[in-house]
Amino acid sequence: MPDWAQRYWEDVHEGDELPTLEFPVTIVRLVIEAAANRDFWPLHHSSEFARASGAADIYANNIFLQGMWERSVREYIGLAGVLKKLGPFRMRGFNLVGETVVVKGVVSRTWQSDGENFVEFELRSETSNGVLTVAPGPVIATLPSRLPGPAIK
Amino acid sequence: MAEGEWPTEWQPMIDAVGQDFGGGIVYVAADDVEKALVRRYLEPLEFDCPLHYDEEAAKRYGYRGIVAPYSGMSTWVADAKWKPGTVAFTSAERGALPPNAGLGRYLMPGDPEPPRLPRPATEYSFVTELEVDYIRAVIVGDRLSQTGCKLLSCIPKETRVGRGAFFTTEVEIQNQRGELVARMRQQLYCYNRHPKAAE
Repeated sequence: MPDWAQRYWEDVHEGDELPTLEFPVTIVRLVIEAAANRDFWPLHHSSEFARASGAADIYANNIFLQGMWERSVREYIGLAGVLKKLGPFRMRGFNLVGETVVVKGVVSRTWQSDGENFVEFELRSETSNGVLTVAPGPVIATLPSRLPGPAIK
Repeated sequence: MAEGEWPTEWQPMIDAVGQDFGGGIVYVAADDVEKALVRRYLEPLEFDCPLHYDEEAAKRYGYRGIVAPYSGMSTWVADAKWKPGTVAFTSAERGALPPNAGLGRYLMPGDPEPPRLPRPATEYSFVTELEVDYIRAVIVGDRLSQTGCKLLSCIPKETRVGRGAFFTTEVEIQNQRGELVARMRQQLYCYNRHPKAAE
C-alpha cells in the first residue's frame, strides 16, 4: 500500500527501480474490469470466442494493462506528479486468465524543459514465468522540485 | 485469389495512409465522467490513489475535482451499448453480439456515417499498440467527445493467429469546453484465421 509521501525530481535518478506490482488475472477480475471499462468484446470474457480467434484463452484488454502501468507510475510519482505520455505501449503476447501480470519499471531519463521537471520510465509487463507480454515502453511524467523555480540536481 | 496474393486486398488502405476518416463528426460520450464510474474503474486495479476518489485531496493538488485515471481515456469517451428507440439484443444465440460490444460507436438511424476505412472485411481484431499524449486531466463531471480518425500506417502481415494487417489511427479527445484532453494513436491487428486453423 503506498504511503503517498511525495517524491521530488531531485530524488529521482536514472536506473532507479519502481516497486514490482503483481495482478493475478481471474475470470471474475476480467469481468469486473470489463464492466468498469465498458469493453465487452468477448475476447476478454468468452473462452470459446477467444480460442476461435487463435488465443489460448480469454485475456486482459489494453485498458486494464494500461491501468496497471498507470498505477505503477502513480505510486512512484505521488499525488503531485503529472502524467504526460504513455507509449508506444506494445502488446507482444496475451495476458491470459490464470496467469499473473507482473509490472516492472525503471527510471530511464530525467530532464528539465520549459520550467517542468520530467522523468521518463521504462515499464514492462511479464507473466510470472518472465515471459514478456507488454514490451518495454515509456511513460513520461513530471515531478515537483524541492526548490522554487527550476529544479537543480 | 491465389495463395500469396492476400496482401493486395490491403493496398487501398496503404494508399489511404495520411487521410482523415473522421468525417468531421464529433462523437460525444454516452455519459459524463461520474464518480461511480471512476470508483469502479479502480476496483480491478486495486488502485488506491486519493486523486481518484477523494475530492478534497484532488483539490489540494490543484484539480477542479476528482481526477479520472488517465489510462481510462477510451472508457471516459465510450459510447452506449443501447440507446432509447433502438433494439440492440436481437438474438438468443449464445454468442450473439450487440452492435457495440466493444468500444466502438452505437450509430442511431439518421446519424451521419463516417467515411469507411477502405479495408477488407476481417473476422477478428485486437489492439496491438497504443500511444497517448495526455494534455489535460479528465475531471469528474466532464463530458468528453472524440473527433478525427487519421490513418497513420497500414502494414499487411501474416502472424501466428492469422493473415491481416496492422494499422494505426489517431483520434483527438476534447472536454465539454472544447479543450484538447488527449491525442491517442491506436494500432489494431485485423485478421482472418489461417484457412487450416479456421476449419
